[in-house]
Amino acid sequence: MRPFVFIAILFTTLFASALQVSGQVQTNIQIGLSSDVVEITSSFDGTSTVIFGSIENGNRELLKEGRYDVVVILIGPKVRTIVRRRERKFGIWLNGSSLSFADVPSSYSVATTRPLNDIAQSSEIKMLEIGLDNLNGVSVTSGFMFKKTETFRKSLQRLKVKQNLYLENIGGIEFLSPTLFKAKLTVPANVPIGKHTARAFLFRDGKFISSKFTEMRVKKIGFEQYTYDLANRNGLLYGIIAVLVAIATGWIASLVFRKD
Amino acid sequence: MSVDVFVLFGMGAIIGFLSGMFGVGGGFLMTPLLIFYNIPPAVAVATGANQIIASSFSGALAHFKRGTLDLKLGIMLLLGGIVGSVMGVYLFAALRDAGQLDLTISILYVVFLGTIGLLMLIESLNAIRKTRGQTEPRKALPRNRNWISALPFKMRFHRSQLYLSVIPVLGLGMLVGILASIMGVGGGFVMVPAMIYLLRVPTNVVIGTSLFQIMFVSIFTTIAQASTNHTVDIVLAVILMVGGVIGAQFGAQAGRKLKGEQLRALLAIIVLAVCLRIGWGLIAHPDELYSLSVMGSF
Repeated sequence: MRPFVFIAILFTTLFASALQVSGQVQTNIQIGLSSDVVEITSSFDGTSTVIFGSIENGNRELLKEGRYDVVVILIGPKVRTIVRRRERKFGIWLNGSSLSFADVPSSYSVATTRPLNDIAQSSEIKMLEIGLDNLNGVSVTSGFMFKKTETFRKSLQRLKVKQNLYLENIGGIEFLSPTLFKAKLTVPANVPIGKHTARAFLFRDGKFISSKFTEMRVKKIGFEQYTYDLANRNGLLYGIIAVLVAIATGWIASLVFRKD
Repeated sequence: MSVDVFVLFGMGAIIGFLSGMFGVGGGFLMTPLLIFYNIPPAVAVATGANQIIASSFSGALAHFKRGTLDLKLGIMLLLGGIVGSVMGVYLFAALRDAGQLDLTISILYVVFLGTIGLLMLIESLNAIRKTRGQTEPRKALPRNRNWISALPFKMRFHRSQLYLSVIPVLGLGMLVGILASIMGVGGGFVMVPAMIYLLRVPTNVVIGTSLFQIMFVSIFTTIAQASTNHTVDIVLAVILMVGGVIGAQFGAQAGRKLKGEQLRALLAIIVLAVCLRIGWGLIAHPDELYSLSVMGSF
């Protein structure tokens, strides 16, 4: 046994030093957000956020030939989401079977340099959970057949796309120089409040080599933020204020339109 | 949720106009209209309760000043109403978690609007026919000779000159409380006929007393919905309220130009139209079979 182990170690060492000699440092990707907070006002109608990034220590030749691919994703807070299907019973349409998915991104916006299946093998793309087809919220309702689960998963995706919450922007990444790129991601009007994550993936010749992530916060500001916080954190006080406002309106109305 | 402030204001004004014209609260028209406008039913219902406070407050105040309000009877109805409201708010949450809230709201609306609309239409058409023929002397209501007079736990209500069991009073209040929290209505359309025909309350105190109960049940329901289900939207409510109180003034003027039975027939037709629209939504093949709900929010 011993000699084999020795040879193995020798080879590994030789190989590693050979890499160092040729100046091969780890190629990686860096990103930065144009703004790390998106503020929602009452007139918020959606926006887009720009993510800048660069490929560091890339191979000069490959960079020139544009053989690196980049995928940038903006992922909303993950929540448990229930998908329900309406079924006809006693002549009326009511919610029948439902399936609950844990950790479903509440929003998902992806920008890529090229179509995903040109960037890498579909198995690799799937493993990295890139793209709408590979979002795998775990289903938590037991006793569902695989096929039915997939139908519900597809419906979840379709509805999210319809609500403008899941977006794909193929070719949405623009290279400003061989190493510098710019990704433009849409933030829809109904963007969920909370902590969003921006992820960037770097591929070379169809192989995943590096990734980076950074956070972005979406929050309501001003009156919107105040009422939102109050309604969700202090519902009782919110209710009392709602009542007082209503009484005041009724009272003012009876003063203004007094029948004398 | 993207909605137009002016459309909402207009809806408030139209419902206000109708409620001023017909002398009804209008919650039973407001909530369906909001739902037709794609406001989530849960929000429409809870916000409806909030909006009703404004419209019932000025009415109840006026009746209180005029003395056409039986405070004792009102308080007993209110006690039942609060119990009903609590039950309703919990039922609301349970139905929502089970994904059956929207369906329940729709079915309740179809049943109540259908029943009330039909009864009102028949009654008003008969009245119109009678006024065209000879005027019949009105039959006096049989005095306290129904099953209700046989119930125990009687209580004296001086203002209404009634000696009545508290069971039907609490029961009626409770029913209205449940309706307030699940349907987002004041419940006047159930309360007023029940007070007149079942409890035999004199007509001059019926409106004031029911408004008193409706106002406090709506207050209670708003607070309970806001703290339990977080479904009250103050901004939405205020827009509807302001539109509503303005519309009500013009409605009241228009109402004076029409005869009572014509008004009731017209209201019956509107009620039935809304009922049919909701009913159609239940039986028509939906465009989208699947729906999403996110735990803990909308």
